[in-house]
This record gives sequence, C-alpha cells and structure tokens, in this order.
Amino acid sequence: MTTRDLVFVVVGTITAVSALLAVTTRHVVHAALWLLVSLGSLAGCYLVLGQELVGLVQLLVYVGAIVVLVLFALMLTRAPIGPQSEISTPAWQRALAVVLGGATSALLAALLLPLLASAQVDLDRPETGTTQIAQAVFGTWVWPFELLSVLLLVALIGAFAVSRLVLHREGEAA
Amino acid sequence: MSEPYVPILFMLGLGFAFAALSVFTSLVVGPKRYNRAKLEAYECGIQPSPQAAGGGRIPIKYYLTAMLFIVFDIESVFLYPFAVAFNKLGLFALVEMVLFILTVFVAYAYVWRRGGLDWD
Amino acid sequence: MTAVAPAAFQQSNVDYVAILPMLIVASAALVGVLVEAFAPRRRRHVIQVSLAVVGLLAAFAAVVWVAVDPNKVGHKGLTMGFTDGTTNHSVFALAIDGPALFMQGSIVLMGVLGILTMAERFGGVGPDAFTPSGASTPGSASESAAARAGALTSEVFPLTMFAIFGMMIFPTTNDLIGMFVALEVLSLPLYILSGLARRRRLLSQEASLKYFLLGAFSSAFFLFGTALLYGYAGSVYFGDLSKAVATGPLAMNGLLLPGAFLVFVGLLFKVGAVPFHAWTPDVYQGAPTPVTGFMAACTKAAAFGAILRLAYVGLDTARWEWTNAVVIVAILTMVVGSVLSVTQTDMKRLLAYSSIAHAGFILVGVLAFDRKGVGAVLFYLVAYGFSTIAAFGIVSLVRQNGGEATHLSQWAGLGKRYPLTAGAFAFLMLAFAGIPLTSGFVSKFGVFSAAIGTGGATGTTLAVIGVVCSAITVFVYARVIVLMFFSDAPDDAVEVVTPSMATTFSIAIGTLITLALGVLPSSLLDLADRASQFVR
Repeated sequence: MTTRDLVFVVVGTITAVSALLAVTTRHVVHAALWLLVSLGSLAGCYLVLGQELVGLVQLLVYVGAIVVLVLFALMLTRAPIGPQSEISTPAWQRALAVVLGGATSALLAALLLPLLASAQVDLDRPETGTTQIAQAVFGTWVWPFELLSVLLLVALIGAFAVSRLVLHREGEAA
Repeated sequence: MSEPYVPILFMLGLGFAFAALSVFTSLVVGPKRYNRAKLEAYECGIQPSPQAAGGGRIPIKYYLTAMLFIVFDIESVFLYPFAVAFNKLGLFALVEMVLFILTVFVAYAYVWRRGGLDWD
Repeated sequence: MTAVAPAAFQQSNVDYVAILPMLIVASAALVGVLVEAFAPRRRRHVIQVSLAVVGLLAAFAAVVWVAVDPNKVGHKGLTMGFTDGTTNHSVFALAIDGPALFMQGSIVLMGVLGILTMAERFGGVGPDAFTPSGASTPGSASESAAARAGALTSEVFPLTMFAIFGMMIFPTTNDLIGMFVALEVLSLPLYILSGLARRRRLLSQEASLKYFLLGAFSSAFFLFGTALLYGYAGSVYFGDLSKAVATGPLAMNGLLLPGAFLVFVGLLFKVGAVPFHAWTPDVYQGAPTPVTGFMAACTKAAAFGAILRLAYVGLDTARWEWTNAVVIVAILTMVVGSVLSVTQTDMKRLLAYSSIAHAGFILVGVLAFDRKGVGAVLFYLVAYGFSTIAAFGIVSLVRQNGGEATHLSQWAGLGKRYPLTAGAFAFLMLAFAGIPLTSGFVSKFGVFSAAIGTGGATGTTLAVIGVVCSAITVFVYARVIVLMFFSDAPDDAVEVVTPSMATTFSIAIGTLITLALGVLPSSLLDLADRASQFVR
C-alpha cells in the first residue's frame, strides 16, 4: 500500500461518511454542511488521482456554488431551522430509501467492480492534463461549450424574470 | 506529480493545528464570567428571532445574488484551462472565449439595466 | 479507447450556412434580451413579438435554403468538428440531415404559432397570460402591487426563443454530450415559463417546481447513462457508439445495457412516456395555456427527433439490447394515456393524458425500425403539433369571470352559443381521435402501417394495441363533443372572449393544417419520406 492509496482511502472514507450523514441528519442546515464536507473531500479524491483541473472544478462549482445555492434556498424558503417532527420523513420511507439506495449501490458495484477491478492507470504520468482538456474543450467540444454560455444566460434571465418583485426604477429603462 | 501538494498539505495541517490550539488555550486559560447578554447570538443587542422579518423569508433578491455568483463562477471554470493552455490554442479559441463571455455579459447587461444590481 | 485530445490543437471546421437556422434563432433571442434591457417598457411587447416572429420566419427560410441547396454546395452532412489527421477519426458535433432539417423546420413553424398565442393581450386592455411577479407568494400584497402597476413579463419571448433554439439542436446533435446540453437549453426556459401563469398561481408554481425537480432527475439519468456508454465505447459520438457495438464484444460489455437504458429514460421523460409521465398532467394544467400548447407540440417534436437519432444512428446496432424495454414503455404509454383520459374532468388534464397516449402511438412508429417508420413519425409530430397548439389556443379563450374555465362541466352547451369556436375544437378532437379526413387519421395510419410492415410480430401487436387504445380515446373526445353540442348550458355560462388577430391566426392555421393534412396529406408525406434518411 503506497502513500497514495492510504491518502485515497482516508479521503474516500471522509467523502462516503459525510455523504451518509448528509442524508441521515434531521437538521437541514447540518445536511447542507455535511454536503459541503462530502463534496470538498471528493475534490480531494480527484487530486489524489492526479486530476487537478477536475478537483478545481469540483471545488469551484460544487463546494463554491452548489452549496451556496442550497444554503440560499434554505434561507429563501420558510424552512424550519431545527428538526420538526411533523414534517420529518416517516420510518417506512426511511427504510424504503435505505433499501433503494442500497440496492442501487449494490447493482452499480456488481456492474462496475468486476469490469474495472483489473484496470491499470499510471497516476504519476496522467494521460490528460489541463492543457489537453483545454485543447479538447476549445477544439472538439466548441459547440457544447458555446451552448453552455447560452445556458448560463438563460439561467440568469430566468432567475431575474422570476424573482423581480416590484418595478423599482422601471422608468430608468424608458 | 504529488510533490507540489506536500507543502499545501503541510499548510493545511498547520492551519487546523493553530485553530485547534487557540480554541483549546482560551478554554483553559480564559476567564469564565457568563451573563445573559453574552450568551445571546452575536452579542449585538438585537433580539434574535427564529425567522427572518416579514413572513419568515429572506428577500428574494438574495436569490439573484446567488445566481449571479454561480453564473460567473462557472464562467471562471472555463477561463482557467483557457488561460493555462493559451499558448497552444489558436486564434479560434480566443474568438470562442470572447463569444462565450459576451453571451454571458448580455445577461449581465439585462440585469444591470433592469435594476437587478440596485439594492434599493 | 480513443484518445481524449489530439496531439496538437485542432480547430473545428464549421459550415456556417448549415447551422445558420440555429444561429438566427439564437441571435434573435439574444437581441430579445437586449430589447428587454434597453427598450422602453411600453414598446417591449410589440418589439419582442415581431422580433421573435421575424427571427423564426428567417430561420425557416434558412432551413429551406440548407435543405434545397440551390447552389449545390452540399450543406447536408456532419459539421462542427474535424477528422483527426493522424488517426483518421472523425469527431463532428452536428449532423445536418433530412430528419434534423425536417424537425428544425417544423419546430420553427410551430414556434411561430406558439409565440403568436403567447402574445395574446385581448386588445391591449386586458392582461396577458403571464404573471408579472413569479416569485411572490400567491395572493400577497407585492403580487397585486405588481399587477396594478401593469408590469409585464415580456422576458417570456426571449425565453421561448431560447427553448426553440435548444429544441432545434436536440435532434441535430451527433453526440451524447451535445444532446445533454441541448436538453438543458430547451428545458430550463420551459421550467420558468410553466411557473408564470397569471391565474391560479399556486397551481402554476407547483407545476414549475414539479417539472424542474423531475426534469433535473431525468437529466441526471441521461448524464449517468452517457457516462456508462462512454465507458463502454470510449467515445460519446453516435457513429463510434454504433461501431463499437458492431465490432464488439468489448471488455466493457456490461455497461451497454444500463447505459442505453438510462439514456432512454432521460429522453422518454421529455415526451411524457409512461412510467415517466407523472409530471405531464400537472404541468400541462398549471402552466399558462399558450405555453402548454407550445410545450406539447414543440418539446414532443424535439424529443422524438432525438429519440429517433439515438435509436437509428447511435444504438441501432445494439437494438436487441433495448427494444423490449421500449416496447413495454410504448404499450404502457398507450394504455395508461388513453384509459386515464377517460376519467379526466379538467380540459387541460384531458389534453395532457391525450398527449401521453399520442406519445405512445408515436413510439410505435419509432419501433418500426425502418425509413418508412421515420417518415411516419416525422409526419405524426407535425400533424399532432399543429392540432395541439390550436386546441390549447381555443382552451385559453373559453373564460369565466376573466379566468380560464377549464372544468369540463363549464364547457356544456358551448356549441350552441359559440358554434364556430366549438366547431373548430370539435374538429381538433376528431383529429386527436384519428377520424378520417383529419390529419390524425393519416398520421395514425402511417405509424401503425409502418409498424405492421417492418416491425414483425412485435410491430403487429403494438399496432393492434394502438388501434384499441385509439378506440378508447374516441369515446373521450366524443364525450367532449356531445357535451359541447348536445347538453344545455348552465346558468353561469362561460363566454368565448374575442382574441386578437395573432391568436385567431394561429388557431385558424392550426385547424386548417389539421384539415389540409387530412384531405391532401401526400405532399407532406412525400417530404417526410424523402427526409427520413439519417447521415452517419
């Protein structure tokens, strides 16, 4: 077991445990914070596997943006801060969720592990670095890349069109 | 490959250790004199309420702030590899990136003109 | 496994004429956003509507130009990519071929009618169909303040244009990643639009949230399937995928079936196939009625275009892996859609279940696995699209106390008081039922005969089930017609408000096309048949 394996096991365990805590805790804010830990350590997993850019994107987009959005969503709704017995998930739903989640994980593990268990990758000399990814994004994937700018634009316009409440200083545009 | 991360990990550990040490030291050596005002959240003199003012909802404006942050956050995700590989990419890639930024800025101009950036 | 990137940077070759229709729609939408930003408030509505209509018509002209190709340049084929010099491996993001151009042309034309119904303001004095403050609590002071101030959400027009842009790309993409981004570009505006109904705000907000959550879920399925298929073939391009299946068995064979299945789930959700249909009735009911019509026609067309490309180009060689699952989905969709439409008491929900049943009929055509089947599906999508936009246009006119009267009992006796409107609606109902001399008959005949012709025993079974389900739906539509013409109007009778020229035009065109395609279908059938060849 190399140092890399050891670090990966540690970071991976943190990811998995905090993900479990995120879905089992009864405090909705705690769930968001555990999600933060989980997504952050997933970025660590990517780093250990030698994919700097993916780790960075994970940090920027998931830890930075997605968790911020989750917290904002909590603030913008009338979500209660503490655990509430009347809206908490009933036991049978929790049991069903455990069964479903477990079954899906088992299915995926049964599918992926035998296929990829013997795969070998040289992590010290990764095939793709940031430069290669940039060349692929701007060379091969131009079209989806430019479409993404449209998607971001639509997201912003939709957000503003929906959330605009009053006509404050609407006259300015006239 | 992994050598550049050793100093970073070292710094990370140092940071955690410093924080833990500070908290621990103040627990041990700090004086403990409690009163009601000190136990309140923020100690700012305003009574904390379980919900935000006006119907228990934080103004929807903050949603636009979050969306603005996210949109430009994702834009920066693409700027990073572009900047790293700039010398190997041609003029075509520069045009692509400019188009990308211009498209997103159209939305920005719209939000700005319609008063989305004013905090009344 | 193919390498992710070529050794040196290689830029994409782009046939700008071939992608001109999409560029026109995108530019019109961008200009629309700038109009929102800089044009004075009073003029916005007029500018937006005319900009959208002109943009769409120009895009249609460009589609025709690319398809007819008067200068014999040869715009059809793969574009937006390159062939790697060393490995001779082609990566192209877009496939400009017959089905793609046919879908683009029909989506753009149906989009024009959709925009025209959305532009309805009842003479400029009444309010339009969209709320000025989507995020306010229904019934709150800020909501009524915005309504009193006469605010308008004219952003709906650029948003619709962006949705049309995504819909045009959806059946044109040649790889799974592009298809995913197109899926998002077309879905995001629809999530927003369906939450903007002026009346019955809670219902509309619920519809939007439900659509968004389930849509995000199905997108995740699609993306996961994409990852598995990439693991299988080492590429997300449809050509490579098909080749990998043909030359297999590969080491990663176990990834093919779950990958194909998950990708299909993502696409079948968009057409509202059972068991991925749960959102359809709620969203169709809650969304503003003109948006519902637009969504029913154009989203269905775009998603079926994408399903066709996936089934006939990407996963054609793996057909034995996924056909049975899709056959079951098709049967369930037809049966559930038609049986549940019997029990509906709300007009919009009834039309929603009818659209689910129609999705099942169209799937029968997809499962014919033949050029004839492709042609029949293309024809069906156009015929159904125009009828459904007109039908929802009429639903938006039947009102009581200013709000839409969508409960079936409120439609009683409508035919005696408004014979023209009720007559047009009855005719559209007959078309949905598939009565001869309407486009519905020709399109159903097309998909069922294609299924019997080349679908083998499965195709015949599907066609028989389809005919039985059509018979069930005939009962539903006949009940509506009887209600309108042969029962007495209640005391607090609804009225049919007089629409603007735009809505009248779009309802009339939709109804006329339904009639024309029923009486003289041959020219469009020929066109669809000639357009049914995919490029690889």
